[in-house]
Amino acid sequence: MQAFATLPSQTADLLPLGKARLRDTTQDGARALETFLAGVERKGFRIAQIALRHEADALDAVQDAMMQLAHRYASRPAQEWKPLFYRILENRIRDMQRRRIVRQRVMAWIPWQGEDDDGGDALEQAADNAPQPAVQAESDEMMRALEQALSQLPGRQRQAFLLRNFEGLDVQETALAMKCSQGSVKTHYFRALQALRAKLGDFRP
Amino acid sequence: MNVEDMNEGTSDFERHVRELLNDSVERMPAAARSRLTQARYAALATRPFWQRSLVRHWAPAGAAAVLAVLLLVAPRGEHPAVSPLAGAMPDDLELLADGDALQLSKDQDLDADFYEWAAGEAQGAAAPSLGT
Repeated sequence: MQAFATLPSQTADLLPLGKARLRDTTQDGARALETFLAGVERKGFRIAQIALRHEADALDAVQDAMMQLAHRYASRPAQEWKPLFYRILENRIRDMQRRRIVRQRVMAWIPWQGEDDDGGDALEQAADNAPQPAVQAESDEMMRALEQALSQLPGRQRQAFLLRNFEGLDVQETALAMKCSQGSVKTHYFRALQALRAKLGDFRP
Repeated sequence: MNVEDMNEGTSDFERHVRELLNDSVERMPAAARSRLTQARYAALATRPFWQRSLVRHWAPAGAAAVLAVLLLVAPRGEHPAVSPLAGAMPDDLELLADGDALQLSKDQDLDADFYEWAAGEAQGAAAPSLGT
């Protein structure tokens, strides 16, 4: 009877501790996801920007990818987040590119419609806003040339190159993100590298 | 140079490309950075409710408790348990479920003598009329 008499007080002591631990676990998960998103959002944005050549569209694509990841895959192991994020992002980029092609075709049929309002390269326009030192200008020039060359690559080659070289994914993670074999990743990367070398030459700073 | 060679090491060209791209990330305009931060918070807010709350942690425990109760209560094949209420009529079950009705029923049992007497009186009173 003595043992039973002490049980409620012991349980009462343990319950807040358990709740606090669970709350900590939930908060840890949220914190881990936030840290992950903060770590990939800028590179993801640049990858989308290079592919779409449009800042607002790139921001939309990254936001959609982050939302999809948080909504559907937050419960997956954290090591899967990066390939999943880039796979979602690439899907969004392709959707936007397709939509853009359709829009351009429709616009071509409308006789009174002039040039596309948001056409042109927003990046290039933004880069010329302010006068910059010579070194910075040279760097910007190289960056523009690189972006131009990257955007002209076939989609799979560009994706393989940017995920491997820029984002630093290994071959296995890149294959997961691109939903293809590791051999295909190597082939796409090799061809992308060849094409970029051919376009940019030595390309030294 | 073949595919394997180009994927093995990192050439100066690749390094330079990476440096340029990383530099462009560092020099990203504040407006774009701000938009990305807002997008991140919006994304975190879209996490499903069960992932944000303690429900996720309690759900397996609840399911286990329900399963345990079912296993304890469920009839076993060797000794099929017969509930004493199996043959009860719906009115009986309703009476059992209703506390007030049960109390009334007990009161009636206590006054059984009264009702027997009343029934006898009624029959006695009715008898002459039957005869007439």
